[in-house]
Amino acid sequence: MSRWRVFYRLLGRPLLHDPVRTGLTVLAVALGVAVVVAIDLAGEASAGSFRSSMETLTGQADLEVTAVGGFDERLLGDLVRLPHNLAFSPRVEGFARVMETGATVPVFGLDLVGDATLERAQAGGAESTFDFEGMDLETAVWAGEAVAAEPGRTLRLQINDRVLEYRVAGVLRGEGFQGVSVRDVVILDIAAAQRALGKLGRLDRVQVYEPEDESADWPAVLRAALPEGAEVVPIGSAAEENRKMLGAFRWNLRVLSYLSLIVGAFLIYNTIAVSVVRRRPEIGVLRALGATRGDVRLAFLAEAAVLGAAGTVVGLALGRILANGAVELMSLTVQTLYVTSAPGRIVITPARLLTAAVAGVGVALLSAWLPAKEAAAVAPTEAMARGRRDFEAGRGVGRRLAWGGLLALLAALASLAPPVGSIPVFGYLAAVLLLAASALAARWFVRTASGLGTRLAFRLFGIEGFLGSRSVAAALGRTAVLVGALSTATAMLVSIGVMVGSFRETVLVWMDRQLRADLFLRPAGDPATDRYATMDAALADAIEALPEVAAVDRFRAYPIRYDGMPANLGAGDARLHGERAGIRFLEGGDARQILSCLPTGPYVVVSEPFARKHDVWTGDHIRLPLGGREVDLENLGVFYDYTSERGAVIIDRKVLMQYLPDPAVSSLAVYLEPGADAEAVRDEIVARNPGRELYIATNGRLRTEAIAIFDRTFAITWALEAVAVTVAVLGMAGALLALVIDRKREIAVLRFLGASAGQIRKLILTESGLLGLLSITLGTALGTALSLVLIYVINKQSFGWTIQFHWPVGLLLAALTGVYLASVAAGLYPARLAARLNPIEAAHEE
Amino acid sequence: MAVVSIREVVKEYRAQDAPVRALDGVSLEVEAGEFVSLVGRSGCGKTTLLNLAGAMDFPTAGRVVIDGEDTARLDDAALTALRRRKVGFVFQFFQLLPTLTAAENVELPLQLAGESDVRARALERLRLVEMESYADRFPHQLSGGQMQRVAIARSIVHGPKLLLADEPIGNLDSTSAEVVMQLLRRVADELGAAILMATHSLEAAKITDTLVRLRDGRIEERRRLGAAAERVPLG
Ligand SMILES: Nc1ncnc2c1ncn2[C@@H]1O[C@H](COP(=O)(O)OP(=O)(O)O)[C@@H](O)[C@H]1O
Ligand SMILES: [Mg+2]
Repeated sequence: MSRWRVFYRLLGRPLLHDPVRTGLTVLAVALGVAVVVAIDLAGEASAGSFRSSMETLTGQADLEVTAVGGFDERLLGDLVRLPHNLAFSPRVEGFARVMETGATVPVFGLDLVGDATLERAQAGGAESTFDFEGMDLETAVWAGEAVAAEPGRTLRLQINDRVLEYRVAGVLRGEGFQGVSVRDVVILDIAAAQRALGKLGRLDRVQVYEPEDESADWPAVLRAALPEGAEVVPIGSAAEENRKMLGAFRWNLRVLSYLSLIVGAFLIYNTIAVSVVRRRPEIGVLRALGATRGDVRLAFLAEAAVLGAAGTVVGLALGRILANGAVELMSLTVQTLYVTSAPGRIVITPARLLTAAVAGVGVALLSAWLPAKEAAAVAPTEAMARGRRDFEAGRGVGRRLAWGGLLALLAALASLAPPVGSIPVFGYLAAVLLLAASALAARWFVRTASGLGTRLAFRLFGIEGFLGSRSVAAALGRTAVLVGALSTATAMLVSIGVMVGSFRETVLVWMDRQLRADLFLRPAGDPATDRYATMDAALADAIEALPEVAAVDRFRAYPIRYDGMPANLGAGDARLHGERAGIRFLEGGDARQILSCLPTGPYVVVSEPFARKHDVWTGDHIRLPLGGREVDLENLGVFYDYTSERGAVIIDRKVLMQYLPDPAVSSLAVYLEPGADAEAVRDEIVARNPGRELYIATNGRLRTEAIAIFDRTFAITWALEAVAVTVAVLGMAGALLALVIDRKREIAVLRFLGASAGQIRKLILTESGLLGLLSITLGTALGTALSLVLIYVINKQSFGWTIQFHWPVGLLLAALTGVYLASVAAGLYPARLAARLNPIEAAHEE
Repeated sequence: MAVVSIREVVKEYRAQDAPVRALDGVSLEVEAGEFVSLVGRSGCGKTTLLNLAGAMDFPTAGRVVIDGEDTARLDDAALTALRRRKVGFVFQFFQLLPTLTAAENVELPLQLAGESDVRARALERLRLVEMESYADRFPHQLSGGQMQRVAIARSIVHGPKLLLADEPIGNLDSTSAEVVMQLLRRVADELGAAILMATHSLEAAKITDTLVRLRDGRIEERRRLGAAAERVPLG
């Protein structure tokens, strides 16, 4: 016990004497942990534990029957007549916009009168019963408590492009219905829902309850009774599919969230290494007094563990707070790109706590390993050694560089490997290897660059610049670590910047070619990939009849499930599209030729993400269940598409109508006669269609909004980057502080030799600026390499998009300037401290 | 007029409990070309006196006048300027910057003062201390005596009127110490600098013009040694 007291006095106590630096290190770790925790929590809340809103009412059923575009309600009769004790719950689904709040909520049409399973399911909450005695079922709604607070009120809902008025017959509270939250759903009687959603005589889904007293292969039994196109799947498989679909997205964010932790690792390494350097004599004393190497190593690992644990505790709290913001940003992306869902609650589970602790303490221990080993190697004789030794920095520069080269080579190889599942494991590996390679090359880089830059620094910044650049080179062991940390953060900033910038530019160019129509129409409300609101076909005919209108492309979208993953099936006027729009094919030949071929038979074209995800290329056949038939379709080509990551299969409208004769449209692209005024035509359409809730955008507006959505979905990425840079800058401040403290004597001597306080300040600021500059240079080089991995490996494998490389010059300049200024700012406090140092106390020391 | 004039100086340090009186009414003048040695046992106030004489610190009472300028009236910037022009320092532990070569160390005071074309003057001073051929070496490549010679070159590169040396031979073997003392003597004689040197060594003090003995912050003895003409010429 007393031995540990000695250890504490000699090694632990100094931590407390240096509260600013210790605090900065803890804060850096805390931020790293916080980001990991926040993304983990938010990921689970906004995308993981989520059920898409459509599944809110899946309840305790066992199986469900679905089909693309729904099926005829007479099918239910066939099922009910099966000689088994199965129970069925038919439903119609869609989305409604609550006019009062603007919120989009799922609408369910349930058979309130005939469905026996509903009573079974309602047992829980008395308030959530469907007491429809004396109600007009045509206008009655049961609404979740977030939608309507009390019964009896009028509720105006926009369903498809119409606004309808309902009376709230009951309020659904809490988890009162089938054991799931119904806070923001709307339930109608099935007949009313069919009418409102334009699905007369049709069902979207039948949920099946298996009998308890009978066992059989129920899916097979059902399939035998169903036509070809209908699918029987276990309840919850949609959630599983959504989870799978979101997998890549969440993985990318998770990996990105580890970034701050990596940067934090550099800083712990630096902190512990500085401790070792400063306390060499004390270590020598301990060794002379009989401490073993193991004891010494343990002592420094303990120091790291303490820093890591403190960082973890603070980081957990901070992460819980950050998670709120992260959920918002993430669910925004999830909603726009993937699926309509209400974010779940943020839950901190023991497993998450453990993850955080492992992240914080584990990273601390790992990064302290080398310095602790160095400490253990201190010989007892060093108790008597004079002066301070800095890191053994000069040694091993070449060896490290060689290792770095080898890792870079391995990274290149890893980037050639295919994904595992849809996760680009080897892409991540390549990125990590590149980071490691650059960290290993940092010493060589700092030494070479500051050597070459000394003269330049002298010319630019005078003697302070000269001295600064010399000491950057002299304290190589430390400065290289700092440059490693900041350049890692910078590299990620650059690579994400280049990737997003390239992506954005690619989308802009693509929109330029693709979006040629003058007006675009769809039902009003937030756009989302999984909402399939429709407008009736008469609207399209009316618009086409306007004299200013040259042509109207009618587009209809259906959700489909392909190969266990959600996707979109779209039908448009292929010939018109070929003539008017600038669709571009990655594969399959000339666009116009392909598109003119589409209407002639069971042909489709697929989008690039679909092709990559499902390995469907030109000439391949896909089978889709359409209108009660399993249809074989030949793929004529693969086109570039950046609208949906789900992937799309496009078929000609006339061909699709043969299988699914519903003429309603999801969106319209309107081409005007030359010289017609788009704004005027838009106003005319609005004026001629009172009572229709339409979103009509001119070409320019649609593009602007598309790009705004694009930018919004990357907000969280930037937020993560900002934290990583903050961590690096905090660490830099801490490390510069240590550097100042350890160079007190030198600074004092300079004062004796005639340096003013201002010159000392300038010296430290020049040093921090120089470190910033070196980091930016190395970071930009590394970042460019990483951006190639991101664009050509990780992104392509995760999402299936071809992105054209593009330098977002302005963005990068702004970001790098920011990093530079931040690094100079990190020197402000240490510089002030150095300038205020009392020289007479330090100059006479040995 | 004396290069430095210290009048009735008192210096107190605030220690934890009682204030420590490091200097207690010391008066001392050093003329141009005069070499004064300050002896006394450790803790008697030598370093404190040198710091005051070089305007690195302020007295609690009394005045310090350097080349006619009263240091009490100057702000930090003016004191820095004064040091740059008129004062040079030599330390017991040499205090060469390890990252700079010998020549670069010598140039440093000139560069800090914002002067350019400093290399020639630095080399000239290195020649004076017979270290010219080591100009491009780094401190860790030099012996203690060589380092102190470079430090002396650095302390006089800007032609100061006052040179303050705190135990300059305290860390040297006797041969090196002899060389360094001879050098300091030459600096006083040839450059006409006033030198105030703290030392433990009475042997070393013999080469100086005046010996001042401090005891507990007071001057205990002040003795003029032999006239300059009687000294052994430099070899
Ligand atoms: N910064 C300080 N704070 C408190 N006391 C000090 C300080 N510097 C010196 N002293 C005290 O002043 C006295 C004189 O010190 P100093 O001038 O360094 O003596 P010398 O150089 O002769 O050994 C000593 O008692 C010393 O302890
Ligand atoms: Mg002393």
